[in-house]
Amino acid sequence: MAIEPLQPMQTDQGARSTGLSYQGLLDTDTREVPEVLRMQSAREMPVVQVPIERYISQEFYDLEVEKVWKKTWQFACREEEIPESGDHTLYKIADLEILVVRGEDRQIRAFHNTCLHRGRPLKDYAGNSESIRCPFHGWHWNLDGSLREIPCRWDFPHVDREKFHLPEVRSGTWGGFVFVNPDPDCVSLETYLGDLPRHFERWPLEDRYTEVHVAKVLPCNWKVNQEAFMEAYHVIGTHPQMLPGIGDSNSQYDAWDNFSRAITANMTPSPHLTWEPDEQDQLGAMLTPSMDKDPQIRVPEDMTARELMAQMTRMQLQASVPSVQALTDAELVDSFYYTLFPNFHPWGAYNRIVYRFRPWEDDVHKCLMEVIYLSPYRGRRPSAVPIQWLDEDEPWTEAKGLGSLAKVFEQDTFNLRRAQQGLRSAQHTHVTLANYQETKLRHFHSLLERYVGA
Amino acid sequence: MKLRHPVSQAIYTSQDDGTVHVESEDGRTGIFKLDGRWVRGELKFADPHMLPFVGEPSLPSHRTRSMSGSGESRQRSGVPVPDLLGNDPTKGSRGMELGLNGKRVLVTAATRGIGLAIAQTFADQGCSVAICARGDAGLETTSKDLEARGARVFAKSVDVADGDSFRSFIAEAAADLGGLDVYVSNASGGAGPGEQAWQGGFDVDVMGAVRGVEASLPFLEESDAASVVFIASTAAIEYLGVTQGYNAMKAALITHASDLSQSLANRGVRVNTVSPGPVYFEGGNWEMIKQAMPQMYEGALAQCAIGRMGTPEEVARAVVFLASPAASLITGANLVVDGGFTKRAAF
Repeated sequence: MAIEPLQPMQTDQGARSTGLSYQGLLDTDTREVPEVLRMQSAREMPVVQVPIERYISQEFYDLEVEKVWKKTWQFACREEEIPESGDHTLYKIADLEILVVRGEDRQIRAFHNTCLHRGRPLKDYAGNSESIRCPFHGWHWNLDGSLREIPCRWDFPHVDREKFHLPEVRSGTWGGFVFVNPDPDCVSLETYLGDLPRHFERWPLEDRYTEVHVAKVLPCNWKVNQEAFMEAYHVIGTHPQMLPGIGDSNSQYDAWDNFSRAITANMTPSPHLTWEPDEQDQLGAMLTPSMDKDPQIRVPEDMTARELMAQMTRMQLQASVPSVQALTDAELVDSFYYTLFPNFHPWGAYNRIVYRFRPWEDDVHKCLMEVIYLSPYRGRRPSAVPIQWLDEDEPWTEAKGLGSLAKVFEQDTFNLRRAQQGLRSAQHTHVTLANYQETKLRHFHSLLERYVGA
Repeated sequence: MKLRHPVSQAIYTSQDDGTVHVESEDGRTGIFKLDGRWVRGELKFADPHMLPFVGEPSLPSHRTRSMSGSGESRQRSGVPVPDLLGNDPTKGSRGMELGLNGKRVLVTAATRGIGLAIAQTFADQGCSVAICARGDAGLETTSKDLEARGARVFAKSVDVADGDSFRSFIAEAAADLGGLDVYVSNASGGAGPGEQAWQGGFDVDVMGAVRGVEASLPFLEESDAASVVFIASTAAIEYLGVTQGYNAMKAALITHASDLSQSLANRGVRVNTVSPGPVYFEGGNWEMIKQAMPQMYEGALAQCAIGRMGTPEEVARAVVFLASPAASLITGANLVVDGGFTKRAAF
């Protein structure tokens, strides 16, 4: 069963897939297309080869801890996880533990989760308390980090109240996300985010709440994991069932300063196919690829699958998204997946997805993957749901609320254990990245090189 | 599930034994395990991503496994739509299934009257049942009765008003039954005059329901068919002829159930109330009233539009329906089961 080799199309930006480009698809939209979707970056990505040791060596892992995790702005929690005064949660990254607390003045502050007396972590879990008290000897701080009380104060004449204020970690918020940066000399969050907030102006993530939050430890390096979610190049290999309804190789990839973006059109056929799916095939591939289940939805004769899907999504969102009638079909149908260096992946428009990837248990071969669905709501923002933890051998389909994507995640992560094993056994020294479709990976590695000084 | 590979055009079909049958475009066939291993047939390679996607991973319906990692609890995003008839279109409709078989139910004050009938009806539906009552009397007989109906039973003498022992009873019951799908708060401090009766109503009717839900919740959240039913009374919604704490306490239950139905909905738990009118059974209040206050009994009987009082079984059937997956869309309801005893239009 041979597949026709793709004939590349030459454009003034370089070689591109045959088929309709994303910008060409936008020309068919039923609504006015906003500038943010028309933007295309012109950045040259130098990195084409990535040393395999970045994924498997403990030395490189240690370098990442010092040069990346201790130096960059990272998504620590959602604001709705700590809505009330005294609410707190922990953000753990490598061997750092950062305590994020909402104070009596409603301000969010972050502290190193370490007692200034003999170093025991101050908190073990997320929760609510009216102050911060060490479980070991009872040293006691206010929610704003000021020292409140030391048992047997007379025994510590050398402890100066001012100097024993809990050391604060730089923190800031954007889009309902709380960010922390362990580096006291870092640039401001605003500077670090750059143009990213402007991209999300039409899709305010602060007007969402955490409806689903699933966490799973996976047996691979955190970069192997996140790089599986930064391109649509893997669709033909990993999610072949989607091909009738996804413009995988016509995706658009852009990169700016600290963030990158991919846009993959849905409800449009893949150029990989050697046959022409009709509108119903395109809808079915994304909704119910199963041949023995009726999708229950027929694309009307005078409509395309894209238009139908956009209309259905508009109806769903009508109650909770006031601007929904002005949103383009693209924003209601396609996938906009952003990456903020190093590990934060908020999706644009109304896909709801946010990913975060972190190393786990200080093991270069293990990582934690989190899937978060941020949903719009009406009225008061509901509080965040607790995290569902999946065991390593539990399928994503075990988690509640992931819907039809659970099986897609299952396909994605099917490769990751073997990918890590393959990298460990590899005799060659570098992985090789695509010029265009792996733009986001190349952008990531060029930033990584800058941070670690490689 | 059956799926066509859009590139190779091969047809992937899941089999009942958990394997996947693959037929290539040129007619060759092969059987594969979900992990990609070839089992038999002419076709010896299949797309390893398609196999688990087509074959439904079989999921245990009740998991007792503890969570990994942290102390954080599992979450869910609402009440699932139960699959009561199965997916086989050739079988057609088999009438209404309650979907209770194998579910684990806890009923308080279940040795007599309405509580007993509720426990029996659940047992008849194939449920495991945990029951409690004050004192040992009746628990053994009831347990034997329920076991004779094929139910696994966990029974213990508990005073619902004693918060600590009531909570630990629920934990023990859930541990014994391997979880909990349904909690029925039936215990009542009873009717009567004076402040003591107010206090009894508060301690047993109200706080029994409040604590019962709190203690059951960690188990209910693990269930795919979680629901709670409070037993209130028509005395809460229409004047019974006696001004007493019982009526107001039952009203509190209806409001609390309504609140819970909202706050627990996205955790997958439905909460409803059943308000029975006069129910007559041997050894029940109305038998006593019939003897002691025949006028009052006759008055109440005359009010029952259907010409008789209810039986515990009739109330139990309403409770069991509301508690069952068949009622998956019903939450926050107060179902009045009174044979027309109350006269208001029930908007």
